[in-house]
Amino acid sequence: MRSKLVLMALLLYGALCGLALSGCKKSVAAVSLDSAFGAYDTEPDWNDNTKVINLGYQESQGQRVFYLYCVWCHADASPAGPSNRSNVTPTPPLMNDGDKLNSESDEFMQNIITLGGSALGRSAMMPPYGKTLRPEEIKAVIAFTRAIAQPAYQKPGRAGSPYTTK
Amino acid sequence: MGKLSEKLRLTFAVATVVCVLALAISPLKDFRAEWKHYKRSFAKFAQGRPDTKKLLADYNPNIDQIWLPGLNVTDRCTTCHQGMTQPTLADASVPQPYRAHPAIPHNVRDWGCTACHRGQGLATEAAEAHETTLAWEKPILPAHFLQASCGTCHQVDLKETPQLARGRQLLTRLNCQGCHKLNYLDQPMLGPDLSNVGYKVSREWIYKWLKEPRTVLDKDGNATVNGYESGDESRMPKFRLKDEEIKSLSAFLSVQKAKPLETYKINPAVVAAWGKKPDLISQGEVRFRQMMCTTCHPLAVTRAGETKLIGGNIGPELTKVGSKVNDEWLVAWLRNPKGYLEHANMPRYGWSDEDLYKVSQYVMGKLTDSDLLTGVPQLGAATDEEVTVGKRLFAEKGCASCHSLKGLGLQKDFGPDLTALGAKNASELEFGKANISHSLVSYLQAKLQDPVAVNPAARMPQYSWNQADLDAVTTALLSQTGPAPTSALQHLVVPKKDAWFQTVGAFAEVYERYKCYACHRFNGYGGTLAPDLSFEGSRAQKKWIAEFLKNPQTIRPALILRMPQFNMSDKDASIAAEYLSMAIQKPDVDPESVDAKQFTTAMITMGKQLYEVKFQCQSCHTIGSGGGYVGPNLNNAGNWLTPAWIEAWLRNPQALQPDTIEPRRNFTEDEIRALTAYITTLRTGIKPQTTASAVAAHPPAQGAGR
Repeated sequence: MRSKLVLMALLLYGALCGLALSGCKKSVAAVSLDSAFGAYDTEPDWNDNTKVINLGYQESQGQRVFYLYCVWCHADASPAGPSNRSNVTPTPPLMNDGDKLNSESDEFMQNIITLGGSALGRSAMMPPYGKTLRPEEIKAVIAFTRAIAQPAYQKPGRAGSPYTTK
Repeated sequence: MGKLSEKLRLTFAVATVVCVLALAISPLKDFRAEWKHYKRSFAKFAQGRPDTKKLLADYNPNIDQIWLPGLNVTDRCTTCHQGMTQPTLADASVPQPYRAHPAIPHNVRDWGCTACHRGQGLATEAAEAHETTLAWEKPILPAHFLQASCGTCHQVDLKETPQLARGRQLLTRLNCQGCHKLNYLDQPMLGPDLSNVGYKVSREWIYKWLKEPRTVLDKDGNATVNGYESGDESRMPKFRLKDEEIKSLSAFLSVQKAKPLETYKINPAVVAAWGKKPDLISQGEVRFRQMMCTTCHPLAVTRAGETKLIGGNIGPELTKVGSKVNDEWLVAWLRNPKGYLEHANMPRYGWSDEDLYKVSQYVMGKLTDSDLLTGVPQLGAATDEEVTVGKRLFAEKGCASCHSLKGLGLQKDFGPDLTALGAKNASELEFGKANISHSLVSYLQAKLQDPVAVNPAARMPQYSWNQADLDAVTTALLSQTGPAPTSALQHLVVPKKDAWFQTVGAFAEVYERYKCYACHRFNGYGGTLAPDLSFEGSRAQKKWIAEFLKNPQTIRPALILRMPQFNMSDKDASIAAEYLSMAIQKPDVDPESVDAKQFTTAMITMGKQLYEVKFQCQSCHTIGSGGGYVGPNLNNAGNWLTPAWIEAWLRNPQALQPDTIEPRRNFTEDEIRALTAYITTLRTGIKPQTTASAVAAHPPAQGAGR
């Protein structure tokens, strides 16, 4: 009789401990969202349209501005069909041309879009958009450019710094 | 009390130790809580940053929450997402959950997180916050459909949310409101009234149409119309009808002849003169193209081995229309669309018998497909029994939700109310046997793609979306979350204003006859295909308007979509020119305020210099034969634009036309004068180049590299 009671008490303790411990077991796992819908928007790779580039919020805002204002001269085709690129001298760079644009700093890009080509000693055919686009829209276009760049854009970081993506 | 045995003593000792250990578990568990793990690793992460000081100054080891009672928001997301408002953590290389929120018009501290992202604001564990668990129903909204949240308050489309706008546009265009109740949408486009359809098409054609209404999916899942790839979803969906049902419906529709057709007999002399000419059909095609029918109606065109639909999307596709309609009907329709269809959007052209004969012969002779009705059985005349069954089916299958018939009004609320669909929990939805994840998003996508997949008894017809349109419609449906849960939220709703443009007098008739509003916008009302004419009186010279209406080839001949050649009479053209130039001006741009006579030769010379050298306007505009075609051709700008408009435009283009892509420049007043002086001297009616930006209002084709 007595031993039965003891056994029951022990079992109760055991169950309590087990319950408490099981709560601790939860692992810190990454949250899995449906990966196809994880990106805010996408853009096909201009050189290989079987590839898709995922865009974040800012980049997709840049995509919108790009396809409204910049696409006419900075792409090989426009929403209307042919590109105006061949009518412009010197020929403007394609917006995904990493060889040309990756070496330009964000500040330079921001300035040439805001102030126009002539203000920076480049072609006057690039008009200034500082009074038409908001600074954050211009930043978004630059972010979009960086996202679609081929070869891929590498953010400049200090040597040995842990936040460089190099 | 008796003495306890040694055994019992030991048992109690062990039990006590176990009890103490069990009590210690609670603080241990608390210490190991998931959110504390994120707190600690953020502190560690901050140590390795150049901005450690700032990050640690803002560090708070406790649960952080955004509490906004008015918005019904208690969001603890920032407990783990600690870098949310740290601008230095915006870069994509910062690991989640520490990355800063992208700069959006709403501040996180003022709006909370769940108002847009959904999910559980109160939860302190990642799984509970983001996913559907037993206790928590609302999962987080995938980033791809996030624009749905903008749409819950913003009833007016924002330029920042193109996916939502496209989704709403599709819901309107496909007339989803015919069967479903939906919020914040424009007036739907109805299907054609079928009261007289028996005059227009044969029973066999109706049979074919009901069986396979144009849209066909190719093996890659691309939406095609008559086998041609199209960027647009066909407006008539495919209903899952049995052969018998199609026979009965086609019988019922083929006897719909409510109002006799106003037939027109083309002058026999014209028929005799043209009938024998070998180039009759090619001449008809020339006229068809000159009239710019393709501005509204697409046609399949084969270029370099690739067949595509080219043309606008306002009217139906016409590639095989010659095998569809009766020739008598066609002539009557072309002469007076309203005579057949009261709500027709087709303008009433001015026709000579010669043109009418040539164009109708071209349509009936060339835009045909002898295989169109292949496989359709010979149905013969409709029997009374078939007609009775057909009439019943017309109501039962929901046809009457989009198509009216004389004596049968439009059916209301055939399908379920969808105004609160976007707020539904997955447990409220019927998934049937569909093998999909149990979430609202996958339900919507499965249902839109194949309605019977989730509900075998679904009456909803079959659409064939491309992925982008499917996602857009899903976004628009997710934004339909019903009435705001709190009054504070209700006050935040940005309502949609109904735009209306009312004309009076003689112009009202011209406006209605040529359906100006189908393409042009007046004070926010009308189409977006062609330039906004709200301020046309300030912009264009009266003489130019009248000439342009009669012969509209001179200013913006965009690639395909151009102003139709209406064969407008002198009287109509002068009524329209008079009204447009006098009645619809921008109050602060008086066309008389700048007199071109004041411009001196020196100013003109300076203006030319500025245009060509300093500002290099030729990158976008054409003068002579050189220059770009992003902006309008300026060869005839001196006859077209008023000097007052040119000056105002150079000062601030967006003030006159908010969505124009012409950048606003820093011109001095002298430069504006000089440029205006120069532009007013350009008076040559050379046939201009194409204007690429004229189609900028349309959703951009993705992937410019293609």
